[in-house]
Amino acid sequence: MSSRIRAQCVKELLQFRRDRLTLGLAFLLPLLSLLILGFAIRLETKDIPIVVQDLDRSPLSRSYTDRLFATDQFHPSRWRGDDPVGAIDRGRARAAVIIPPDFSRRLKAGKASTLQVLVDGTDANNARVIRNSIQATTEFFLQDQGLIATTPPVQARTRLWFNPGRKESLYIVPGVYAVVLWIFPSLLAAIAMVREKEKQTILQVYASGIGAGELLLGKGLAYLLVGGAMAGVVMGLGSLIFSVGFAGDPTPLLVGTSFYLASAVCFGLLLGVRSASQNAAVQGVSLIGFLTALLLSGFIYPVSNIPFPLSLVSAIVPARYFILISRDAYVRGIGWPGVGFDVLVVLVSGLVLFAAARRSLGAMQLDEGAGR
Amino acid sequence: MPRSSPAEPAGPPLAGGADPVLHVEALHKAYGALEAVRGIDFQVEAGEIFGLIGADGAGKTSTFHILAGLLNPSAGTVRVLGQPPRQARSRVGYLTQSFSLYPDLSVEENLRYVAGLRRVAEGDIEERSRQLLPQMGLGAFGDRLAGQLSGGMKQKLALCCALIDRPEVLLLDEPTTGVDPVSRREFWDVLARLAGETVTILVATPYLDEAERCHRIALIHGGRIRQVGTPEALKQGLGLTRLELRCTQRAQAAALLEGAAARDPDGPGSIVDVQTFGDRLDVLVRDADRGVAEVRDLLQRRELTLENLQITSPTLENVFVTRLRQEGAQPQPLAFPRSGERRQRTDPAIAARALSRRFGSFEAVRQVDLEVGYGEIFGLLGANGAGKTTTIKMLCGLLEPSAGQVTLAGQTSRLRSRELLGRIGYMSQKFTLYDDLSIRQNLAFYAGVYAIPRALRRQRIDWVLASCGLEGRGDMATGQLPGGWKQRVAFGAAVLHDPEVLFLDEPTSGVDPVARRQFWGLINDFARAGTAILVTTHYLEEAEQCNRVCFLVAGRSVIEGTPTAVKAAQPGHLYELLVPPGDTQRAADLLRRRWEPWRVGIFADRLHLVLDTAEPELEEVRRLLDEAEIRIQSLHAIPFSLEDALIGTVQRAAGAPP
Repeated sequence: MSSRIRAQCVKELLQFRRDRLTLGLAFLLPLLSLLILGFAIRLETKDIPIVVQDLDRSPLSRSYTDRLFATDQFHPSRWRGDDPVGAIDRGRARAAVIIPPDFSRRLKAGKASTLQVLVDGTDANNARVIRNSIQATTEFFLQDQGLIATTPPVQARTRLWFNPGRKESLYIVPGVYAVVLWIFPSLLAAIAMVREKEKQTILQVYASGIGAGELLLGKGLAYLLVGGAMAGVVMGLGSLIFSVGFAGDPTPLLVGTSFYLASAVCFGLLLGVRSASQNAAVQGVSLIGFLTALLLSGFIYPVSNIPFPLSLVSAIVPARYFILISRDAYVRGIGWPGVGFDVLVVLVSGLVLFAAARRSLGAMQLDEGAGR
Repeated sequence: MPRSSPAEPAGPPLAGGADPVLHVEALHKAYGALEAVRGIDFQVEAGEIFGLIGADGAGKTSTFHILAGLLNPSAGTVRVLGQPPRQARSRVGYLTQSFSLYPDLSVEENLRYVAGLRRVAEGDIEERSRQLLPQMGLGAFGDRLAGQLSGGMKQKLALCCALIDRPEVLLLDEPTTGVDPVSRREFWDVLARLAGETVTILVATPYLDEAERCHRIALIHGGRIRQVGTPEALKQGLGLTRLELRCTQRAQAAALLEGAAARDPDGPGSIVDVQTFGDRLDVLVRDADRGVAEVRDLLQRRELTLENLQITSPTLENVFVTRLRQEGAQPQPLAFPRSGERRQRTDPAIAARALSRRFGSFEAVRQVDLEVGYGEIFGLLGANGAGKTTTIKMLCGLLEPSAGQVTLAGQTSRLRSRELLGRIGYMSQKFTLYDDLSIRQNLAFYAGVYAIPRALRRQRIDWVLASCGLEGRGDMATGQLPGGWKQRVAFGAAVLHDPEVLFLDEPTSGVDPVARRQFWGLINDFARAGTAILVTTHYLEEAEQCNRVCFLVAGRSVIEGTPTAVKAAQPGHLYELLVPPGDTQRAADLLRRRWEPWRVGIFADRLHLVLDTAEPELEEVRRLLDEAEIRIQSLHAIPFSLEDALIGTVQRAAGAPP
């Protein structure tokens, strides 16, 4: 390793160690983000308040009501009025089920009966979930009561692979890793770069004759090491707290994480080179970082749902590929055959970002027009 | 304080001796529409200390950036050691204007980092830092964080870093701005020694006394070089003689003589220029004898008594100011539109008794007594960190003293009352103007803050614009003004309400000599109208403008009095010694072995020597130099400057150097 790169790297690490802000950014905030994102994001809705207006008041209608609340999906709304529509209007219930007065009489007579179900459609996604759920409960109720005699001729037997218990943390936590390990290493690298410009120390660096590549490699290497330590802490504690473990070969994750961190650091360096002040750099890195890593990476919303031309942007977001690698390591366990390509894409993204940063630094001179 | 050590070997000998080390020809640099450098030429020979003297915005830093290879010139030729600057980077050490080292790294870590960047071999780093750090007086501070060093030590560290790669050329951009006088002297002693080892030094400085220590200087202003030459040649080239006048009723005498100078600028009269100082007048005359006669005659006719008149040589500042005046426009002093006469008062405007302030265990100000009367200009002097700003803040009630009492405009308590604040003006070190407002909006804002009657507002704002030479440019954004101009506007904003007491914290740093003189013209105008003025500065040459001065060293007042009295109280004598050019460094080393090092300073090709007794010690000087076979070309007494006085006092107080 060239002595210049080493000198640069050693200096960065010394400065990093002395600064409480960067230490916090490297360890405290990533952990906090892990906890917040890991605990706060729940995609599946549970405990939906619904109101049931039982006009029948028969044993059969009561047993239907009990069946509805037997799952952990619904719980009775604490609405005490007589108008179920009012409960939805005031946001006390997400759905209202109205059982007609002749419910049990008609069923016992072998006639069809209607239940009125009103669902709050504000949250379109959950409205669908509620509707399906009530329908399924009703069907199950009918079978259970022996009101439908025949079994349907075709039955789909589904089995959930990789995550049979539908444990949600298995889906969320590997995604959180992608967000946290992108944002914070890139923030640190951007600050380290732009601070030299703000404090004018960059003049000394330029005057020394060090090349753009050497400067970036020195700084990048230092923050890659910091990022590695960060990844160790975040992933280690994350596995313990959310009890997720490796599903298969962890080597693609190991290699992929190194490339991913390098890519994040290069992204930070690029923005650091291009911004004039620490403020601008921090805002740029965090805004772009959060938007892409949270929204365009498939962390929450499926990538396939992103419409054209936004899908093109999503296609070049490294977090998107790292999420696949990370989910494979913790959930799917396929290993290299499954995610080898994604590891490669992350590596290429890092190289492209490095080349861009190097180009921006240009001849290691002051910008024209920057003045004195 | 570093003792001079045996000379270390310089870099490889220069090839082809005849070529200049720095060659600059028709250099231009433009940033968009702004032309920072407009065609400058100069050449610097090996082992020469070449000074670029000019104010902020003169184009110095751009020139340095270009020579260091950080910036491409818009036009012109630049060769460093016969190469384009970028290729010569590894042979050039650059000390930038702002401290470009890392405050959160220790002295040694900074040095190692720079050495690593410049590819100094691992073994050499160790050896050279062991050599350099003690030379600069940093031997004991290797582990100290750079951010915790004093201003002078920081600059010495920066110089160590620039020297670690054994450069052949040193570029020093204002290396001593804000550094205390003692450290400044030491710094220049190191530079003189380096030049003796054939390191070529290009240095920029706003201090004209430092310019005297350069072999050659170039006066740069507005992106052009106005004059080049040795300091001696420039002063002689002016063809004028300076008269120092001490008399009663200075203001009247000044007005009288100025009138004579203005009457016939090119006529038969001899008086060219008059400058008011704190306790004397400087008059530049074309001919010494005729000038003296004319001055005596003028004063006699008005029955003004002349206490003392000395004939002496012009200063570099005279050169600079005269030269720039020939270039033309400079705003004329204008009377401030006052609302009425102020009554004469004899009680002190500012008084402090045993004023102290501690921050934790650090004593920033210790037992300072001072008294400033109405109409008096009082200078609070000292290096950065000596306690000047803390003292000012306590005097105007911004900071509570730990002990002692303050009387401000007759009040001893409630110094922040609205009524009192309306009678006080304060211009702080940092600009208090809003960059994104126009100049006029800024002034209108302050006029509103001070509740100036509407009728006067327009008049006074116009006065500020006119006295700054900014008529018709009031709608310009303040942020676009160069530093020196901004300071003048800030001064205008601080005096809009015609305060009785005015605090000026470093009002003139970075301002060119012409502007600085004009600045002092304004300050004098306020003093004549009865305003008490307390001004801090680290330019000791400027302290001559004050009626009385007080030096702070580490929070303690070490000297107080009129500039003349301070200089007169200095024990011993100052001698200037001229030896053949090649022997300067050897003679200095020799004399420093006999006397304390601070008593011997190298000023370009001359030596300054402070001796306590005259003849016996002079005899010894002659004998020592004779034994070493160094020929004395001249040895004569010269007057002390204020800075000499301060350094002498501080060094004597510190006792024998370590």
